[in-house]
Amino acid sequence: MSFLRKLKYLVPWVRRAEDRDIQDELAALQAIAGPRELGNLTLAAEDARGVLSWLWFERLVQDLRYAVRSMLHHKSFTALVVASLALGIGANTAIFSFMDSILLRPLPVRDPQSLVIMKWRAKSYTLATSGMMWSTDGSSFDEATNSTTSTIFPFAAVDVLNDSSVVSSVFSYFSASRLGLTALDQTESVKGLYVSGNYFDGIGVRPVAGRLIQVADDAVGSASVAVLSQRFSQRRFGGADAAIGQTVRINDKPFVVVGVAPSTFFGAEPGAIPDVFIPQRADSLLESPVSAARRYGDEHLYWLEIMARLKPGVTVAQARATLAPRFQQFAVRSATTEEQKQDLPQLTVEAGATGLDSLRRKYAEPIYILMAMVGLILVIACSNVANLLLSRASARRREIAVRLSIGAGRARVIRQLLTESVLLSAIGGALGIGVAWWGIRVLTDLLSNGRENFTLHAELNWTVLLVTFVLSVLTGLVFGLAPALQATRVDIAPALKDVRANDATRRRFGVSLSSSLVVAQVVFSLVLLVGAGLFGRTLAKLHSIQVGFDRENILLFTIRPSAVGYQGAALIELFERVRQDISRLPGAVNVTMSTSPLPMGGGTLAPVDIIGVKAVAPSADGRGPNAALASVGPDFFKTMGIPIVGRDFNDRDVAGAPRVAVVNRGLARLFGIENPVGQTLAMRAGRAASTTAVKDQFAIVGVVDDTVVFRLKDPPRSMVFFPSMQAERPSGGMVFETRTAGNPMDLAPAARETVRRIDSRIAVFDVKSQTAHIDQAISSEITLARLCSLFAALALVIACVGLYGTVAFNVARRTNEIGIRMTLGAARGRILWMVLRSVLVMAAVGLAIGIPLALFASRYVKTLLYGIEPNDPTAIAAGAGALLVCGLVAGFIPARRASRIDPMVAVRWE
Amino acid sequence: MQPLHGLLEMLVLRTLLFGPLHGYGVAKAIRSSSTEALDIEFGSLYPALKRLELKGWIVSKWEMSEFNRRAKYYRLTPAGRKRLQQEHAEWNDFASAVSRIMSAKPETQS
Repeated sequence: MSFLRKLKYLVPWVRRAEDRDIQDELAALQAIAGPRELGNLTLAAEDARGVLSWLWFERLVQDLRYAVRSMLHHKSFTALVVASLALGIGANTAIFSFMDSILLRPLPVRDPQSLVIMKWRAKSYTLATSGMMWSTDGSSFDEATNSTTSTIFPFAAVDVLNDSSVVSSVFSYFSASRLGLTALDQTESVKGLYVSGNYFDGIGVRPVAGRLIQVADDAVGSASVAVLSQRFSQRRFGGADAAIGQTVRINDKPFVVVGVAPSTFFGAEPGAIPDVFIPQRADSLLESPVSAARRYGDEHLYWLEIMARLKPGVTVAQARATLAPRFQQFAVRSATTEEQKQDLPQLTVEAGATGLDSLRRKYAEPIYILMAMVGLILVIACSNVANLLLSRASARRREIAVRLSIGAGRARVIRQLLTESVLLSAIGGALGIGVAWWGIRVLTDLLSNGRENFTLHAELNWTVLLVTFVLSVLTGLVFGLAPALQATRVDIAPALKDVRANDATRRRFGVSLSSSLVVAQVVFSLVLLVGAGLFGRTLAKLHSIQVGFDRENILLFTIRPSAVGYQGAALIELFERVRQDISRLPGAVNVTMSTSPLPMGGGTLAPVDIIGVKAVAPSADGRGPNAALASVGPDFFKTMGIPIVGRDFNDRDVAGAPRVAVVNRGLARLFGIENPVGQTLAMRAGRAASTTAVKDQFAIVGVVDDTVVFRLKDPPRSMVFFPSMQAERPSGGMVFETRTAGNPMDLAPAARETVRRIDSRIAVFDVKSQTAHIDQAISSEITLARLCSLFAALALVIACVGLYGTVAFNVARRTNEIGIRMTLGAARGRILWMVLRSVLVMAAVGLAIGIPLALFASRYVKTLLYGIEPNDPTAIAAGAGALLVCGLVAGFIPARRASRIDPMVAVRWE
Repeated sequence: MQPLHGLLEMLVLRTLLFGPLHGYGVAKAIRSSSTEALDIEFGSLYPALKRLELKGWIVSKWEMSEFNRRAKYYRLTPAGRKRLQQEHAEWNDFASAVSRIMSAKPETQS
């Protein structure tokens, strides 16, 4: 009841009525009682009103109202504080939310520490190449140890490695190429992962709905089942539960959906979440260049990736010590030739959690750098707020003195000042939520860089937001409190008179504090600016890399007709038909195809020879001359704009016709000949330089200029092109490159429609322009450069605001002094210089501290740079220059104002 | 037990037990029934009336006074009556506890 009444009292008209009632009542009593008998009735009424209201609340409302009024009065001050806080808090929350979702969230598997991934290392692929089935991204050649590391094993190795003394389970998986999945009468290209029956059990993932794949599913002749990813089931069926029991067609074969895997689980192979998990044995139903008998029987066929879960208490080193000899025995047994026996693969066991973690590691470095950058932004923003509050508090000393002199309690005045600063930071924080929300979306866009199936999705992290918010409110409190305490300690009399001599020491303290804050801002801004310069220059260097072909106006798209059953001649026929039909589209100039777009992203090197010519530059690793291989369609070089001597491939280079090849200048250089056209290219059967056995021969019909091969940053590499239509075993999928007259993406709908008309079951995917494909290869550099420039600009703006605020405030304080100087004959230019000099001093001190700091900090980003050194003088000079120019502009405005002061007004200035 | 805290409020409730009074009447009644020993300032009495009213122990109503003047009269509610009994009992306990201490003979002192 009393609560309700107090609540009602908050309503203005109720309050007015109550107050009037009290006045009436007291007036009536005064008429009854004797004069002065009732004492101070005003106070009685005041106290009575106090009973009806919440006093603290009343005062808060009062303080807030006053704070809002004063904020509205000082609009630019308010805007500056709020904006710098909002940007600082928002940027931090966005970056830290990402960091949380990428780096901190635990892996969605049970006990990731006990998972291990199997790898092997050998001088070359001797043993494995004899029957390597799929090229994998998992293999890499290490220049330092001169050996190849790979993660693929023959099927028999699963049993070999299943030693129950160290591991509790061994499970395997391999990535499916793109699969055509038909659900609800719609076909699309999806990413699949083949898993052994014990995979989910071993890795320890729980289903979102239904059940996951079990051992019984992974047997010859068992019913075809599939597990979908949560994201896919959500997208196609509207929910995990709705997908259960549905029949989907994968590569035109029916599969029953038995379960849904959580979307947080992106498979043992990171990168993109598989949309569908299929039992390993079902691969024979779907696509299989190699027979099941060979896959599960041939000990030379390396194709399967293997993970294991260690028994409790077993370390990775112990597991390796036990398993390596077992694998050694197996390798010895399976080696048949002398060459293989000389180069047996050595088993290594690595922590599986880090294998699952490679996505995290890929983004960890940029994210840490971004974190450091936004941390600096927050520091700059907070010091800006502190500075603004400080100068404002000094400017208000007189107002505070007035309030103290008319009887306001010191605590009450401090409370009032704190209410203002906390209100300011709270508004900044609230706007920061908006900035963070927007920032997360922008960051997701930047990081995914147009890639489909991007797996990183950060949500606004409220914990982070709370922390940054509290931090900003604390800034408001601390930097509001210090000047508030100082201001309320004033001797009222001199403050009221604003006697300057008396507060010289105090002012010097305030000025030096605010100057050091500005210097700190300059220092941190410089670090960010140098960072932006470094990444910007890296990006420029990457963009200026000569790709060796004309990247503009090319549309890329990919199809994989093998997914719906096309094989052999039918496949080649289909590819040619697509090429012909696309070339007839209006806007298409030339059309060609290749098994991968340039740069290819990865691939294998094969040993090559030119018959009768001795290599002049045998490779350092003793493996003999080798070259990257590419399989391309007719008109490839014309379409891509690669200069060629000799002839392009054409539609007569088919199976049965003489076998031909085009080599690049890099390969010709390897053999020291200017023009190899007319020579014969030989593919050697073995890798070692001593191997002379020749597998295949090709007539060289053309030589082309070097292009990028695998990765943009790689040095030029020798390369051989073969006609795709002449391949013994045509690739199941193909990338089509279409040179267009206008914007390549304009042709995309027509291209999709063309393929759909040929066979509606074939999914068209990876539709993008050639430039976008190249940009994806340098996506993290682009992201870093963009974000870093954004942050540096932000820091520069905030720092300039701080500089401007400090200088403007000092000018205002010194108006009187400036007036006197001018009266005594100081020229305007001299006044201008006097003010600007203080700006220059602050900037110079900032640069003197900032440049060594930037030099030191830039070493940590060395690995992310390309083509420049961390101490790049251009970047540092540009950063320092930008800072100096912006600082001078920020300082010039108040300086100019100072020089235009009318001395007569200024002398009387209070 | 905080007996002194509500002392003034208890006195006001007690005064109103005999019938409705206006604010000035309450002050006069306390003064006269304490034979002028307690002279409560109106400045503290008036907020106490408002506090009691807020708690629902008394209600107020505009009425005509004995001299045909309008005044706000306060009246005890049943809840207020109950409260008075409770506070009275507590006060008795407190007062007797205090008087026992005050009247106790000092024991043998060394």
